[in-house]
Amino acid sequence: MISVVLFILFAGMAIGCAISVVAQRHPLYGAISLVGVFVSLACLYVTLAAPFIAAVQVIVYAGAIMVLVVFVIMLLNVEHEQRRKPRLGYLVGAAVVLAGIMVAEAAFVIYFVQGPSTPKDGISDVGLTFSIGKGLFTSYLLPFEITSLLLLMAIVGAMTLARTGGLVSPRVGVLPGAQVLAPDVIDSPNAEPLETDTTDEAARVLKIDQRRRAPEK
Amino acid sequence: MDNPFIHSIVLLVAITVAFLTIMLLVAFTVLAERRVLGFIQGRLGPNRVGPGGILQPFADFIKTMVKEDLVPEQSTKLVFLLAPMIAVITAMMAIIVYPFGPTVTIPFLGKFPLVIARFDVALLYVLGVTSVGVYGIALAGWSSNNKYSLMGGLRSSAQMISYELSLGLSLIGVVLMSGTLDLHSIVEQQSGWYGMEWNLFKLPAPQILGFIVYLISAIAETNRVPFDLPEAETELVAGFHTEYSSIKFLLFFNAEYINMITVSMLATTLFLGGWNGPGVAQFPLLGVFYFFAKILFFLFLYIWLRGTLPRFRFDQLMSFGWKFLLPLAILNIILTATLAMIGWS
Repeated sequence: MISVVLFILFAGMAIGCAISVVAQRHPLYGAISLVGVFVSLACLYVTLAAPFIAAVQVIVYAGAIMVLVVFVIMLLNVEHEQRRKPRLGYLVGAAVVLAGIMVAEAAFVIYFVQGPSTPKDGISDVGLTFSIGKGLFTSYLLPFEITSLLLLMAIVGAMTLARTGGLVSPRVGVLPGAQVLAPDVIDSPNAEPLETDTTDEAARVLKIDQRRRAPEK
Repeated sequence: MDNPFIHSIVLLVAITVAFLTIMLLVAFTVLAERRVLGFIQGRLGPNRVGPGGILQPFADFIKTMVKEDLVPEQSTKLVFLLAPMIAVITAMMAIIVYPFGPTVTIPFLGKFPLVIARFDVALLYVLGVTSVGVYGIALAGWSSNNKYSLMGGLRSSAQMISYELSLGLSLIGVVLMSGTLDLHSIVEQQSGWYGMEWNLFKLPAPQILGFIVYLISAIAETNRVPFDLPEAETELVAGFHTEYSSIKFLLFFNAEYINMITVSMLATTLFLGGWNGPGVAQFPLLGVFYFFAKILFFLFLYIWLRGTLPRFRFDQLMSFGWKFLLPLAILNIILTATLAMIGWS
């Protein structure tokens, strides 16, 4: 009885937040709603006796990834979206048809397909930390390692894409004198070599910086 | 205990007692901070309200509550209201998993463990709740529509994401040793050696390195001196809570001190044996005393640091977290795993 109440509560929260993600016109409100979706999903996992997944859901998605998203939205100071006419209007009809098919499929599965019987001995240990850890490091070791390699490749790829200029020597920390230069001196593509009292290292880095900015003109 | 009605009544009482204890602890930590800072800086501190200034926190509370509740006209109203709530609720939520003491016998009612909720992933729960707490500060900084607040919010999100990593990794040594994430079992495993077999000293892998990394990261997580860049008053007025006044300011203030208390509780539970100490096996209620004594030690450490250390620069803060603490935490994991393997075989 109480599990049904909790399920309806959290499922309703998840769906409401999910609708809000799509409907909000400000990106930050959308991001906050998405956090709501993740938290209500975590609550649903708890009611399904999978506390480990629930905790990881909150830590990874709500706590790390969405914080980064909010961080970026705050940094870019994104304004309200402009509302304009949808360019692919005919897709609305297709979406309605596809949604109808999906609802029909769900109804078919619920009413006509004999599902697997639910386990009788109450709570299983599948969602507990011990069984997940044991599974990850024994029978699913290869998929686990492949996933970690994929994530590593994604990180390296992102770094390579983001870093267009030359490599900066690790010996250069904060550039001496760089903070007191006027922005137009740094940004000007035709600027003379810097006359400030900087080390050779810093001057080299600043030149690289100028070369990178030049094509934007 | 089997009766669900009695069980829920006991739970309700436990939550109320824990809540009031924490709020009183916050009030007197604020007072103690001002008095100890006064002592460190060679002045008196507040000593007029009540004997020795003991009623000062309540006077401050009333004064703050009757201030005008300002909302900046250009702010994002809903988020502006939501931010302090998120901050204080997430800070409060972490308290329920800490064991305050061993199982005690209450006359006519039976035995009760002094913990509100006990479950499989208590440690992950604490980390998860802490990581959601970042939103309170970040959204407060953004919604105030004030450049100082925004800078404070951005700084704090960057800082908390960075130090959360070394904080989480520093705890893995303890988890490796105890083989569970349930805080209650972790504490019970430290009860050997007449209550002194704390994870800090426990063989085969004493967690001294992990403890140091945890302590530094915890100070950074709670935005305290010397890592208080989000509210660096010399550069950012008051950082993310510049625009907040009255009860909303009070909520942020409370959240900071509750966070201080909860990270002290986690340090106590994981590294200093929780309620364990000499004589707890004979007198279980002594455990509660030990637990709070250890927390008060950490709170004093916080105040002491605030009185003695200058603030980091932002690039120093980042490079310290990523280039020093994080490798140290990983080194601790490798060391612990190796020593535990040798010790067990």
